[in-house]
Amino acid sequence: MTRLTRKTSLLKIYTWFPIILLFISVLNEFDFNYLNLKYFSFNFPFILIFFFTLKEFKNFDYFLVFIAGLFNDTVVGLPLGISSLSYTLICIATAYIRNITIRPNPLKDWFYFLFIISLINSLNYSILTLFFDFNLDLTSYLINTFFTFSFYIIFVSIFKYYLKGLND
Amino acid sequence: MASSRDDFIIAIRSAFLKKSTQQKFSLLTLVSISIFVIVLSSLDFKVIRYLKIGINEVVYRSSFIVSIPENFVKNTYFNVAEYSTFFRQYKNNKKELEQLKSKDISNEIIQYENKELKDLINDYVSSSDKVLAKIIVDHESPFLKSVIINKGSNNKIKIGTNIYDQSYLVGRVVEVNYRTSRVLLLSDLNSNVPVTIAPQNIQAIMIGAGENFGEIKYIKDGIFEKFDENSIVYTSGTGAIFKSGIPIGKLIQRDKDLDVEFFSDFSQLKYVFAEVETELTAQNNIEKVEDNKDQNNNPIDTKIKILEDEKKIIEESNSKFKEENDYLKIQINKLNDEIYSYKNEITSQKEKIDQFFIDQEELEFLRLNLLYSQKCQTRKLFSTGLKVGTPEYKRCILNRGKMND
Repeated sequence: MTRLTRKTSLLKIYTWFPIILLFISVLNEFDFNYLNLKYFSFNFPFILIFFFTLKEFKNFDYFLVFIAGLFNDTVVGLPLGISSLSYTLICIATAYIRNITIRPNPLKDWFYFLFIISLINSLNYSILTLFFDFNLDLTSYLINTFFTFSFYIIFVSIFKYYLKGLND
Repeated sequence: MASSRDDFIIAIRSAFLKKSTQQKFSLLTLVSISIFVIVLSSLDFKVIRYLKIGINEVVYRSSFIVSIPENFVKNTYFNVAEYSTFFRQYKNNKKELEQLKSKDISNEIIQYENKELKDLINDYVSSSDKVLAKIIVDHESPFLKSVIINKGSNNKIKIGTNIYDQSYLVGRVVEVNYRTSRVLLLSDLNSNVPVTIAPQNIQAIMIGAGENFGEIKYIKDGIFEKFDENSIVYTSGTGAIFKSGIPIGKLIQRDKDLDVEFFSDFSQLKYVFAEVETELTAQNNIEKVEDNKDQNNNPIDTKIKILEDEKKIIEESNSKFKEENDYLKIQINKLNDEIYSYKNEITSQKEKIDQFFIDQEELEFLRLNLLYSQKCQTRKLFSTGLKVGTPEYKRCILNRGKMND
């Protein structure tokens, strides 16, 4: 009986793993910045949110994504609501692409992801520079977008394994 | 055409409004809340500020806990790297420490003088306490260079409080919570510091470059050539945001740009000092003096007191100079001893070298003697052989058996 309960709780944690990972990544800024590679950075939450909302993963609650955005703003030091807006916009974009797609194509998703993150990063940059007078380096944003786009395909293959494991 | 537009509108509407069974809020609601929060955070209401402080406290602590495994790995890596260069660093540090010790004494004297002069020009004299703070969150974000420290308003930290790594400036506080604060590092793009470049004594503004160095801006044209590698950048105190005379870094010339290499490595910060200040204005000083006047009711006594204070300062300076002199004398003696021992060593080595040449000459003579001794001793028609041991015989051997040169 105890063994069964433990197995059920482990399965529960496993099903909630993406959202736990999202919170860890926003609190920890999981992006290997400490490697001190010049300009190297990528936005892991973008990849995570895009993939799991596109797959309409059942435990990936939009409200929790919104809260994760607030946490990210607090950790990074951005005005509250900026990351929440970005994450919610990703959710909208994936909901839209789900509605218009009949036969999903990973390559199309990948380039659609590039379009979406470019749009959201531009929006972020504009809000921060125009309304909050932040001085930001545009090159860093462009390179961040490029690396996020490049790493998407790697993380997607890992997430697919996760989903496969969950189905099994 | 109309049908495709309808499809687009339906898809968009569905994306915004449709909630699946798992979702508690529609995306339209969340977008609206996000925009509402952004607007509120920009308006700086008191309620919002307190709410933000509450969120910050919880999130910073959570972030610190979540970062523990990553920080452990990171610190282990740095520790291993540090151990591998430990001995070399130790040697360099020892040398540097000796130099700094002597500089420290002269610095203390300058500080005394500075305090005295500030009193004279009716400027404020700040009594400051440095509070040790631990860095709990440092994610080295590529966009914003800031860290979170574990001291907040309960430790009298205020917005603008200067933050140091040892005695070097690293940044200032831009956000204060009850137990935590956010420090904007000097390397951030949003950081502007009024600085003085010594010894040229040129005023400028240092702006963070977004990387681990700063950029010097707003200096006069045509003074670029004046700077050299020994130029040091420190705060000028203009604008009263930063105290004056805090060292920041060394000046580096890159093509036509002037950059500042920070004395402190911001990626390696673990503990910092926050300077909690209380200003004693000149007015307060005057009031204090007046109070003393009332107590004494005698201007001569006050003058005597001032003179006594001056005497005390001079005596202290003298003792510092004496200490410095003693130290220098010891250093000179040490150096003289070293020179003497080196000289001895050189003399003994010279002797050894001379002996070596003599030995070599002897060896050559013996070798040639084996070959040509017969020739030099042989009697010929008109000459007798040379006697062994005479200088002529030696010359003959060295000339390889030839009697006459």
